[in-house]
Amino acid sequence: MVLDELKEWLYGCTHCGTCKEVLNIFSPVCPAGEKYQLESYFPSGKMLIARGVVNGVLDLEDDDIRERIYACTGCLSCEQQCGVYHHQHIFEIIQALRTEAVTQGNLNPAYMIMVDSLKKDDNVFGKPKAERGDWARDMGIKDAGQEKVDVAYHTGCMLSFDPELWEVPRSAINLLKAAGVDVGIMGLEESCCGGHAYEIGYLGEFTKYAEHFIETFNSLGVSRVVTSCSDGYSTFKKLYPRVNIPMKFDVLHMVEYIDQLIKDKKLKFTKKVPMKVTYHDPCHLGRHLGDDGVYEPPRDVLKSIPGIDLMEMERNRENAWCCGAGAGVSQANPDLALWTANERLKEARATGATALVTSCPWCERNFKDAVKEYGEDIEIYDIAEIAQKAL
Amino acid sequence: MIEAVKSKIVEELEKIVGSEFVSTNRADLYIYSYDLTTAESNWPDIVVLPQSQEELRAVISLANKEKIPVIPYVAGGNVGGLTIPLKGGIILDLKRMNRIVEVSETDMYAVVEPGVTFGQIKAYLNKHHPTLRYTYAFSPASTGVMTNALVQGLDNLSFRYGDASHWVSGLEVLLATGELIKIGSCAASKTWQAIAPFPELDGLFLGWQGTTGIITKMAVSLWPNPQHGMAVTFMPMDLEGAYEILEAIIRTRIPDDLIGTSFALNKVGVPAYSHHKAPLYPATKRLPDEPEFVITAEITGNTENELNAKVEAVGEAVKARCRGFKFTGPDTQPSTTAAFPMQALGVLSSGGGLNWVGTYGPMSRWLETVKKGCELQDKYDITRTCYTRIMNEGHFAGLRWMLPYDKGDPALVKRIHALCEEQLDLVLETGYIPYKTPVWAVRRLEELAGPDWLKLHRKVKEMLDPNNVMNPGRWGMPRE
Repeated sequence: MVLDELKEWLYGCTHCGTCKEVLNIFSPVCPAGEKYQLESYFPSGKMLIARGVVNGVLDLEDDDIRERIYACTGCLSCEQQCGVYHHQHIFEIIQALRTEAVTQGNLNPAYMIMVDSLKKDDNVFGKPKAERGDWARDMGIKDAGQEKVDVAYHTGCMLSFDPELWEVPRSAINLLKAAGVDVGIMGLEESCCGGHAYEIGYLGEFTKYAEHFIETFNSLGVSRVVTSCSDGYSTFKKLYPRVNIPMKFDVLHMVEYIDQLIKDKKLKFTKKVPMKVTYHDPCHLGRHLGDDGVYEPPRDVLKSIPGIDLMEMERNRENAWCCGAGAGVSQANPDLALWTANERLKEARATGATALVTSCPWCERNFKDAVKEYGEDIEIYDIAEIAQKAL
Repeated sequence: MIEAVKSKIVEELEKIVGSEFVSTNRADLYIYSYDLTTAESNWPDIVVLPQSQEELRAVISLANKEKIPVIPYVAGGNVGGLTIPLKGGIILDLKRMNRIVEVSETDMYAVVEPGVTFGQIKAYLNKHHPTLRYTYAFSPASTGVMTNALVQGLDNLSFRYGDASHWVSGLEVLLATGELIKIGSCAASKTWQAIAPFPELDGLFLGWQGTTGIITKMAVSLWPNPQHGMAVTFMPMDLEGAYEILEAIIRTRIPDDLIGTSFALNKVGVPAYSHHKAPLYPATKRLPDEPEFVITAEITGNTENELNAKVEAVGEAVKARCRGFKFTGPDTQPSTTAAFPMQALGVLSSGGGLNWVGTYGPMSRWLETVKKGCELQDKYDITRTCYTRIMNEGHFAGLRWMLPYDKGDPALVKRIHALCEEQLDLVLETGYIPYKTPVWAVRRLEELAGPDWLKLHRKVKEMLDPNNVMNPGRWGMPRE
């Protein structure tokens, strides 16, 4: 979206502040606003910045104004709390400001590595494309590009290139195999989903990846694409329809699929995993999906694992506090990303849990980094890692 | 402000609060330059966010020394343009000073810092003191508790206890000249139970819109939280009927809260609850079989029997007095306080703007004022949006015509502004005094109140703020 197409929503905000807190709980919801406290970092402030830009009062050439626009994790918590008619367009307006900045040539240097890497190696981390399938090297997984499979597992950039997280896709594949699923991966032929490019304002890159992804899997004839990456999942579900190419396959997040396999009695947990855990709802698996938010399947999976004691944080499901990594913040503003994550870790520890479980590698990575930075005494896992322990 | 001076001031401010809490960025200045009303925008030069009393004191001391205006700010939702810097200067955003310093369960008060919001105190009391409650404003949860009392707001216990400044039982105030003063029992003891029996110096600060000092702590009364509640609704077919119902309920002295709104306002507000725009223009009219007004009495009881008896008594009082008027109802429903804070949604969903001529005045001229005010809305083809709240058991009434509007529609902005000007003329004629008084109404009131009144105000202002740095241009503004 570009700003001109969003004029209808620009005057929706009265700056009433309802977007700052969870309705009727009154706990904070906006990471950037809470960290920086200046009104310009809160969603309502960003709506006024958009108004100022459109009216020619403010200029995106101003580095500090762009810094505020990019200090947003795209968690959509504000959209969840806001009751006014423009509420579902708040992040769209922020994203349009980013697109406007890119169009004007006011690029954020922190994203140049990401953009160059996308163009060169189809990933957001500046890693060689040839390393994309390394995590699966010794697992004997089918190559979905070469042989027919029923289900394709999309690994995503984070899980492909971060060895510390390789246990997540490996656990996922083991679970699928244990359930008898005919699964394959694209290996080094896999590409970025383009979701991050969209969020930081590079619409052209996003469109390129969306078209490539849909056309590839349509031609391979898989019935289903499964991913452990919540960012990727919401990109497939909510953003890909914008490119108007019909998808001939369905898309499931790994937690939905595990839940389904358990309920179909194809996956059984036999070993006890004695742990006190709390579950963090990734924004991209919750609010980003609107009414289709995936809130109960991960909880059902955890409850089906013998020995797991699940504690809830005060802000859960559609009111969950963000991990801080989203919408390019972990690349451009690590201070904000880690501070936000640590706020969540403190909330997790307050439940009495000794481990935080989530279902998004961006969340997991950021939480692990926050533990290193701030020292909160808590372990971080993906739900597949916990589930695999029970096989 | 001259750039060289500004740089020096910014440097000093950064030493006091840290560079991350000082901004001269145009985005920040723009955001604080206007609000949801039609008030003329004016840019501040600097935004500062202190966290402690020491930081605040240092900022004020610097501003006073350099004669730079200081405008205190918490949420900016006062609907009076009160935090728009009329003469530039420093926006003192106090949201970081947000401690609930003390809650006395026995003496039933809370001591709060400026940044404490209605949402925050509600959550805190629910968690730590569930037997106590504070009142709630007809506004979003981000509204400041202290600022609401400071600007004499009307809330959901106003029928019982009057405007919010009446519930203040102690103050700590920082003067522009650096003195930190406690007012009320807290000046001479450890408790903050009452202003009496001291001289009522709180009047030097309450209602002054931050022009005489910065309140750093305020004690506000809390009340027992009754277990049972209900809203009783009456819908008269005309304004005469509305007046009779209000009078009948007033004399029972039963409700916690007694409010009335134009039926058409409710009608327009309905789409807002399903996330649609709620435009007032062109006017939405009520149909012939629809009521003119909706009156709601919030009633509470310690037991269900007590509640039911109260509801019955209110119903009987209305029936006894209002035989000559047609009305629908009464109807009962769960308490509207359960909907806090989104009760205001209907007036926040028209396009970023909200204006009103909000007033306090006598019940004796309520009917005349409401009628004429609504007729003015008809003249401008704006939906009737009267909102009234009966204060202090009927000793006076809050009255306004709520005007949400689309800020992106210049013709509508002009129309709303013109309507407000005419409504201001009307209320001043019928003895209704604008509250949270916008500066354009302040000047009119100064003329009405006369030179001796103005002289006294100026003397008070000059005594407390000799360099005229505290939110200058409003109450007590020196002669220019």
